[in-house]
Amino acid sequence: MVGEELTEQETALYDRQIRVWGADAQRRLSKSHILVYGMKGTITEFCKNIVLAGVGSLTLVDDRAVTEEALSANFLMPPDENVCSGKTLAELCRDSLNEFNPMVRVSVEKGDLTSFGVEFFDKFDVVVISFCSLATKKLINERCRKLSKRVSFYTVDCRDCCGEIFVDLQKYNYAMKRLDETTECELQYPSFQEAISVPWRSLPRKVSKLYFAMRVIERFEEAEGRKPGEICIEDLPAVLKLKKEICEAQSLNESHIPNALLERLVTGTREFPPVCAIIGGILGQEVIKAISGKGDPLKNFFFFDSVDGKGIIEDISDPTPKG
Amino acid sequence: MAESTVHQSRSRDLDKLLLRPGNLVAPTFEPGAQLRDDLQEYARILVVGAGGLGCELLKDLALSGFKNLEVIDMDRIEVTNLNRQFLFRLEDVGKPKAEVAARRVMERVSEYDSDDKPIEETVKPMVDGGTEGFKGHARVIIPGSTPCFECTIWLFPPQVKFPLCTLAETPRTAAHCIEYAHLIKWDEVHSGKTFDPDDPEHMKWVYTEAVKRAELFGIQGVTYSLTQGVVKNIIPAIASTNAIVSAACTLETLKLVSGCSKTLSNYLTYNGVEGLHIKVTEFVKDKDCLVCGPGVLLELDTSVTLQKFIDMLEEHPKLLLSKASVRHQATNLYMQAPQVLEEMTRSNLNLPLFELMGKVPRDIVHVTGTTSRDGKKASCLRKLCLVFKGADAVTDQDMAVGA
Repeated sequence: MVGEELTEQETALYDRQIRVWGADAQRRLSKSHILVYGMKGTITEFCKNIVLAGVGSLTLVDDRAVTEEALSANFLMPPDENVCSGKTLAELCRDSLNEFNPMVRVSVEKGDLTSFGVEFFDKFDVVVISFCSLATKKLINERCRKLSKRVSFYTVDCRDCCGEIFVDLQKYNYAMKRLDETTECELQYPSFQEAISVPWRSLPRKVSKLYFAMRVIERFEEAEGRKPGEICIEDLPAVLKLKKEICEAQSLNESHIPNALLERLVTGTREFPPVCAIIGGILGQEVIKAISGKGDPLKNFFFFDSVDGKGIIEDISDPTPKG
Repeated sequence: MAESTVHQSRSRDLDKLLLRPGNLVAPTFEPGAQLRDDLQEYARILVVGAGGLGCELLKDLALSGFKNLEVIDMDRIEVTNLNRQFLFRLEDVGKPKAEVAARRVMERVSEYDSDDKPIEETVKPMVDGGTEGFKGHARVIIPGSTPCFECTIWLFPPQVKFPLCTLAETPRTAAHCIEYAHLIKWDEVHSGKTFDPDDPEHMKWVYTEAVKRAELFGIQGVTYSLTQGVVKNIIPAIASTNAIVSAACTLETLKLVSGCSKTLSNYLTYNGVEGLHIKVTEFVKDKDCLVCGPGVLLELDTSVTLQKFIDMLEEHPKLLLSKASVRHQATNLYMQAPQVLEEMTRSNLNLPLFELMGKVPRDIVHVTGTTSRDGKKASCLRKLCLVFKGADAVTDQDMAVGA
């Protein structure tokens, strides 16, 4: 976008959404820069939504070659397998995303995300990562927090037919509208490390079981040196054993994490397209809220399970206020 | 990792759902390759509309393994569709939506048919979704067990219709000024010429007149954008809400067709206006529902004439319906108005209702008439279930004469 005002073309194209969030928010969106890692189903849905919404730029990181899984579950993949040869997942997705909205600059960054320094992340306003190990999540989150400007950080993981979103907006000020009143609000988000360090026994009883189950799987994959999703039914006994140990250490009753749920997460490591669309849709909306400053952002975990169709927000943060 | 001995499909996630048993499956669920293959070969899904929800639905259904998809849409593609209807490109503007959508989906997953045939009415499970801005819903209608569409019609917000006197005499809002120009002034000035909302000259004229009227009454807020919105009844729309609602609908479709999991019970609402809110409510059938309800039960003698029946409705404590018109299946047995139809159906009044209804012992009729509530008269439509007593004791008038 050239200049401050929206062009006539942008106003026509974005008419229906400008009626939802206003021209001011649209301008902010068009100046924003998003970094995305892990071009699996949920992330591609998310990319579609923000590209259609008209962000300034989107940078994709994923050097993996195309797999059969990607061809069947990723709608950004071109149908002709010959076109795919020689290109990475990120490159193929970039080509498709460009078609959705030529006004958005979609580019690819090659290399290992964990090797990029803090100054690399300074180029972005929002960082979204998917299917990363526990160590990587913590590392990237910390790099984002080290910068003087705010870089919003999100992780998203879908397994079987459920999924989790984590949000870190650091210190976030926004105008909360209730009927005719507008009040200034400030939210303090914990980092991923801080959030998962909150003792389990201090959390409310009704906290989603999926939160705990995901943490067990996370720890298991890390302890065994596995890549995210590199787990199968044979690992279930070891996973259940780990669950028992963690629950004991956290003084949490084992029944809080149903074995059936862990079994689902261990066997269903691939994403399910409709669930990707739901979670990618919610993630898209959260990122648009954070960029535009309009709307109450979710704090700080979101869970969706298609078995019952429920979407649940959990606030997992340190209850003791910092002085 | 243990490999299944069954030939794995391209969609391994679907295999996980359909090839193995589970705790939350429907009673009729039979896991196996047969189910998966039948789903792909035999299940036919009709997607009504190739717009915001339609594009998302086609993508989700195709990726979920359904191979027989049919899509209908009367509209052509416009620029303002492109912010969310991602199957369309700038060069597609002006082309029919259904055709372009079907072609794009087939390009990506190459085993589909594209067709624009209308479909006959049958009783089938229906998955329904709708969105507006940050809000949306998805729900499942299973005829006979969940509430039907009519049962929950009260969930729709009332249509915004301004009284003509407000528009003509006492406007208060920008929308009143716009509708005055659109509905009243246009005809006064352009008598005979139809207003075309897609003609920018017409729209500009309405806008200019609305501004004049607003100035006259000291009302703020008339903009060109609002004018378009009010006149065309534009629904604000964004991609992510559509993505969420369409995907929820697809999940339910998959569950309904395959039985691989319990379906949503039965209405999901999504609200992203303030924060994020998703809730599933189990609505129950309306026992008085005009469509799926059993209807008010009335026992009648087979000799009762249509006239006598209509008189009875006035006295019946549950109905108190006066000046009733009666309809059975697709036939108007008697109509109070207009005069032409009243004359045509008048001869039915002396005939036994039992005969007029084809001598079946039990059937549904619909009656319209006026009822009195709190002193106010209102027209109403009721569903009645008529049961005829002594159906065997009928003496056919013709047979009574001869031997």
